[in-house]
Amino acid sequence: MDYFRNLFRYKDLFLQLTLREIKAKYKQSILGYSWVILVPLINLGVLSIVFSYLFKVPTGNIPYPIFLFVALVPWLFLSNAVSSATGSVIANGSLVTKVSLPREILPASAVTSKLVDLFLMMIILSFFLILYKISFHPTLLFAPVIVLIQILLIMGVSFFLSAGNVFYRDIEHAVGLLLMVWMYLTPIVYSPDLIPKDLKSLFYLNPMAGIIDAYRNIILDGNLPDWGSFCYSAAISLAVFVLGYLYFKNRSRFFADVI
Amino acid sequence: MVDFSGVGKQFKKGHKFLLKEAFLDFFRGEKLENFWAVKDATFKIKKGEIVGIIGANGSGKSTILKLMAGVLTPTRGEVKVIGRIGPLIELGAGFHPELTGRENIYLNGTILGLSKKKIDKKFSDIVKFAELSEFIDTPVKHYSSGMYMRLGFSIAIHIDPDILLIDEILAVGDTNFQRKCLDKMREFHEKGATIILITHSLDLVKSFCQRAILLWSGKIIYAGLPDKAIKKYAQI
Repeated sequence: MDYFRNLFRYKDLFLQLTLREIKAKYKQSILGYSWVILVPLINLGVLSIVFSYLFKVPTGNIPYPIFLFVALVPWLFLSNAVSSATGSVIANGSLVTKVSLPREILPASAVTSKLVDLFLMMIILSFFLILYKISFHPTLLFAPVIVLIQILLIMGVSFFLSAGNVFYRDIEHAVGLLLMVWMYLTPIVYSPDLIPKDLKSLFYLNPMAGIIDAYRNIILDGNLPDWGSFCYSAAISLAVFVLGYLYFKNRSRFFADVI
Repeated sequence: MVDFSGVGKQFKKGHKFLLKEAFLDFFRGEKLENFWAVKDATFKIKKGEIVGIIGANGSGKSTILKLMAGVLTPTRGEVKVIGRIGPLIELGAGFHPELTGRENIYLNGTILGLSKKKIDKKFSDIVKFAELSEFIDTPVKHYSSGMYMRLGFSIAIHIDPDILLIDEILAVGDTNFQRKCLDKMREFHEKGATIILITHSLDLVKSFCQRAILLWSGKIIYAGLPDKAIKKYAQI
C-alpha cells in the first residue's frame, strides 16, 4: 500500500521518467522503434527454422511459428524489461546522488516503458493470428490478468537485480546469461508435453512456465488457464514482488554511498 | 530549518564493485576498512540563514550537504530538515544527455516535485535566466559545462525551495553569470529562504554568508562568524 501511495504521489515524476526512457530510445538510433518489431521477428525466424525445420518440435495442430510467437512475445517483454531495469539505478546515478526521491521509481519506470514494446509486439502477434487463421477467442479477455501477474514477477526480479547491481556491477553482465538459461527452462521454443512426467513438477517450480502456458491456453486454445499452475505462478510472482521490494527498500539507503 | 544531532557517516574504504572480487575477498578473509567522513556533527541552521561550509578537500563538506539533501543516510545520529529542500546543485544535476534542454527542464521540474502545469508557467523564466533560449531545443550533451551549470542553477532556483544547497558551483560560470546568481540568491534570501553553500572562495564567505562552518577531517572545528572561521582556517 505504501508503495502504491508513493508511486501516486510521484506520478508526474514516474510518467516523466517513463517518457524519458521511451523518447531516449526513440532518438538514439535511426531505426528507433522499428527495433522493437525487428528483434522479435528475427528471433521468430531463426528459432522457427531451428526448431521446426531442423528439430521438428511437435506442437499438435498449431503451426510452429505461431505456437512460438505467442510465448516469445511475453518472454521478450520480460527479458527486455529485466535487462533494462537492472542497470536503471546506475544509469540514473546523477539523480540518486542529488535528489532524495523514492528510488524504486527508477526500475519501475524502466519496466513500465517496456509496456510500449509489449503493445507493439502484441499488434504484430494479432497480424500473425489472422495470417494463420486462428480465431480470436473470448478467453482473450483474461489476458490483462496474466500480463499483470507477469509484471509483478518482472518488477520483483528487477528490484533484486537493480539493487544488487549497484553494489556488484558485474550483475549487469550476468543478467544476459541468466535470462538465456531461464528462457530455455521455460516452455517457449518447445511444448510442455515434451517434458518427462517425473520432472514436470520440478519444471513447474519456475513461475514463468505457468504464465507462458496460460498465454497459450487463452490465445491459441480458447481455454482458461490451468488453475493449479497459474495460481501457483501468481502466488510466487506476488512473493517475488514483495520480497524484491523489501530488499530494494533496504539496500536503497546505501545507494548514494557507492554510486 | 536544518538540525544535525550527533551525526556520523561511515564509508567503506575500497569497496569492490564486482561479485567476483567480493567472493574472493570473502575467502581471503579480507575485511573492508571503514572510515568516518563526518564525525559527531551537531549544529542547527535556522530558517532564513545563509551559511557557508569551508574546509580543505576531503574534509566532509559534500557529505554534510548530501546528508542534508536526504541523499545519504547517516550511520549515527539524526538529521532533521523542515521545509522543502532543493536539489543539490552540482554540475550535471540529473540531466539526460540525449534529451533537449526543454525536455530536461520538464524532467527535472517533475523530479523536484512540480506539476507539469507549474513548469509550463515557469518555463520561460527558467530559459531566460539561464540565457539558453537559442539552444533550448538542442540535446544537452552538446552543452558546455557553463551551459550545464546555468541550466541546473536556473531550474533549482525557479522551483522556489525553502532550502537551497549549493556545492561549489559558482566557480564554473563567468563573472557576469556569477554576479547574476548572487543577486538572485540575495533576492531569494530576502523572501525567507535558507541558503547553504560550499565554497573555496573565502571572499564569498566573508561578503555573502552570515555564518560559517569550518570542517577538518570530518569534524566541525568551528561554527560561527565568517571572519573567525576564516582566521581559524588559516591557522590549520
